Amino acid sequence: MRPRAAAAAGGAIALVVALGACSENTGEGTTVDTGRQQTGVIATDPKDSQGPAAEVSGARRGGTFTVIRETPISHLDPQRTYSFAGLMINPLFARYLTTWKDDGKGGLVLVGDLAETPGTNVNNDCKVWEFTIKSGVKFEDGSPITSKEIAYGIARSFDPDLAGGPTYLQEWLADSAQFDTWWDFKKNKGALPPGLTTPNEKTLRFEFAKPRCDLPFAASLPTTAPLRADKDTGVNLDQRPFSSGPYKIAANQVGVQLTLDRNPNWDPATDPVRHQYPDQFVWNFGPTADAANNRVIADNGADQSALAFNSVPASLVARVAQDAALKSRTILSPTPSANQLVINNQRVTDLKVRQALNYAIDREGLIKALGGQTVAQPLTTLMPPATIGFRAYDAYPAGANGDVDKAKELLGGQTPELVLGASDDTTEQQMATQLKGNLERAGFRITIRNIPDDAKLDEIKKKDNPWDLYIGNWAADWPSGASILPVLYDGRTIKPEGNSNQSYFDDPTINAEIDRILALEPAKQGPEWAKLDERIMKEHAPVVPLFVDVAYHVHGSKAGGIFISSVFGYPSFVNAHVKG
Amino acid sequence: MARFLVKRLLSATLTLFAVSVLSFLMFFALPRDPVSGMCPKNCNPERLERVRQELGLRDPLVTQYAGYMKGIVTGRDLGSAQGGRCDAPCLGWSYVSNEAVSDTIARVLPVTLSIVIPAAILWLLLGVGLGMVSALRRGTWLDRLAIGFSLTGASLQLYFVGAVLLLVFVYHLRLLPVPSYTSLFDDPVKWASGLVLAWVSLAFLFSAIYARLSRAQMLETLSEDFVRTARAKGLTKPRVYGRHALRAAITPVVTIAGLDVGGALGGTVITETTFGIQGLGRTAVDAVRAGDLPTIMATVLIAAVFVVLANVLVDLLYAAIDPRVRLR
Repeated sequence: MRPRAAAAAGGAIALVVALGACSENTGEGTTVDTGRQQTGVIATDPKDSQGPAAEVSGARRGGTFTVIRETPISHLDPQRTYSFAGLMINPLFARYLTTWKDDGKGGLVLVGDLAETPGTNVNNDCKVWEFTIKSGVKFEDGSPITSKEIAYGIARSFDPDLAGGPTYLQEWLADSAQFDTWWDFKKNKGALPPGLTTPNEKTLRFEFAKPRCDLPFAASLPTTAPLRADKDTGVNLDQRPFSSGPYKIAANQVGVQLTLDRNPNWDPATDPVRHQYPDQFVWNFGPTADAANNRVIADNGADQSALAFNSVPASLVARVAQDAALKSRTILSPTPSANQLVINNQRVTDLKVRQALNYAIDREGLIKALGGQTVAQPLTTLMPPATIGFRAYDAYPAGANGDVDKAKELLGGQTPELVLGASDDTTEQQMATQLKGNLERAGFRITIRNIPDDAKLDEIKKKDNPWDLYIGNWAADWPSGASILPVLYDGRTIKPEGNSNQSYFDDPTINAEIDRILALEPAKQGPEWAKLDERIMKEHAPVVPLFVDVAYHVHGSKAGGIFISSVFGYPSFVNAHVKG
Repeated sequence: MARFLVKRLLSATLTLFAVSVLSFLMFFALPRDPVSGMCPKNCNPERLERVRQELGLRDPLVTQYAGYMKGIVTGRDLGSAQGGRCDAPCLGWSYVSNEAVSDTIARVLPVTLSIVIPAAILWLLLGVGLGMVSALRRGTWLDRLAIGFSLTGASLQLYFVGAVLLLVFVYHLRLLPVPSYTSLFDDPVKWASGLVLAWVSLAFLFSAIYARLSRAQMLETLSEDFVRTARAKGLTKPRVYGRHALRAAITPVVTIAGLDVGGALGGTVITETTFGIQGLGRTAVDAVRAGDLPTIMATVLIAAVFVVLANVLVDLLYAAIDPRVRLR
């Protein structure tokens, strides 16, 4: 799970969803795509996991699709991939056990990718899972992909040399965060970690000590990408991953340009989500966000079929928004990245004070200060609207600009002195100043203490940190309440350092409810998480939900098929094509 | 001459040694942890510590420095977490770009050389030429034009000039492609068309300074007795100006040029950023932003090598230009 370092460019939906607001679901234009409604499910019909993926209207084969991005992608090696850019490019050359069929409008279905289904819960206790591998799936050299290569991929993720990727499967198999000492990959090459077996070439089996009902979701991360042992080049795999997807690495000038060519051994009949429309994908690294967006706006030559991966920067927002000719070339869409004013519940113990904080916030003013609707949209729930089972509510209805009188009433004449820890990043400084103004209207006395940006996350993860309030962000790895509420609000996970529960909220009845929901079938959990979300806010108000990020991207006139991933909130390339 | 060269090279080596020690110490003085950069999201403290030990980051400083220097001279084995065997000159492993730093440098150095060398030729020819013409035609419209040019160039910033050139030639007139780097040996035309705006921008700004400097030096030289004597002895103007005056006037220009070119080869950050080209300068800045210490150290060392070499070259050129200078 990835807390984003700074709020800026993602987005979301919020209350409008619940109110039934609806706009055209093109995903393009300068109005935020408020029609998104998350309807995630796990496929029960094996047909959903079969290929080929439905044709994209108007798409044709051919051309080169260019992606321009300021900074290089930190890892291409699937087992090490965890950055958003990495997660978005990986599906082009890597396939996983499961994957999300995403319609770009919030409709998500978890399907089998290399597996025939999203997994079988063998004993219905979530402790033993089996996946049957599809026939006809191949690597880029035409060799078959079997359960052995998928298991090898998972096994190598235990190697500490290959750190950086998600660690769910490793920790669940080891039942410990110290999975790399529990099973040493280098000393056991050729073997598999205990609990992971391949009874035959078509079957992959997981056996866990505890119920792991989210396994089908975790299997959709690149940890489950296959690799043949003889193709494992260790840390050098980052330069040239061995492809199992529709494209393969043709050339990689690290930090400058990455070129992907079609993989002739990828069979669309086995793939339920990917296409192979462009002849080539070229990723250019280097141009600043301004330069990349200016290039795409200019729409010259190869840039006509390009996408600026960096969001439209603040300096260009007005120009892009006001240029009617660009309307058909912009994507403005909500993302699942949620931002909160986190209350340190160990220090702010009075519920009325926490409730008053919720009433005092002027979300509209805050969003305006950050750049408006192209940057953020208001949020009043713990889980972002892009979560399966999401139900909108506002536990402390205070209108768009906050209810100062109600906050004062709750404070009963007190003027609590609170310290707001804020990173020295520009965006967060803007937010801190705005929040201080909001809260002081209601009688709070706020002192802002700056924290170096690169140290902030580590500092607020320390249980004994000295701040009462700080700005937090959470982008879950899959759109399930299980990857949000237990991680952020289960008090039993609190340790001296490295806490994801940064509000340090701990309530035994909530912890018990988390256990109850986690034991349910994944498909039944959604509505229960939504109920728990509301209950936590109404009974405890451990944080002040603020806003969700909005994704704002420009593409060239010939770039088609791009939509914002409902899972990660960044442009997805599975439907990308070059228009004729 | 040989003695001079040996002395200068020894002193250059000592300077580079001092830079290497200082930058290595900086590596440890900075509050950065290369391991947390390697695993920024989900490594617990125990796991991070194990990785630190595996990488030798808990070894004594002297051992680590000796290993680093040995790597530059003979290459070394960095271990499986850092790509295994690293051939000389081994500059360590980057956890940000996930490759040997020497590979990064091998990729970005030709980019910076391709920007700086043609740009330097342009700015020297243009700057010195304008300065000379301006001095020889003092008070004429040519002189005033040259002064105006140099004033304009000296008062503008590269990111402004670059942005204007991009806007006009790339986005509006569409006469040039978006700046990019292609190897000179792969496609000379693409190489030139991708970098020409960077050359012109750099040359415009730098030549302004050289024009002013050359003009001032030439005017001063022209008033010297030896110039009058040469003219009195009946030498032609081109011979007096070209062989005598120019040689005397150009010495300070060579000094400045040596430092400028040496410094620019260490990285043209603003040029590379303005035109979105990944050379040594941007690599250094990116490394600083990402806390990529092995890359920071390599770029610092390389920049130092260029400045030191440029100084040695300037000393040699002095002797060639000015017969009064003797190399000892």
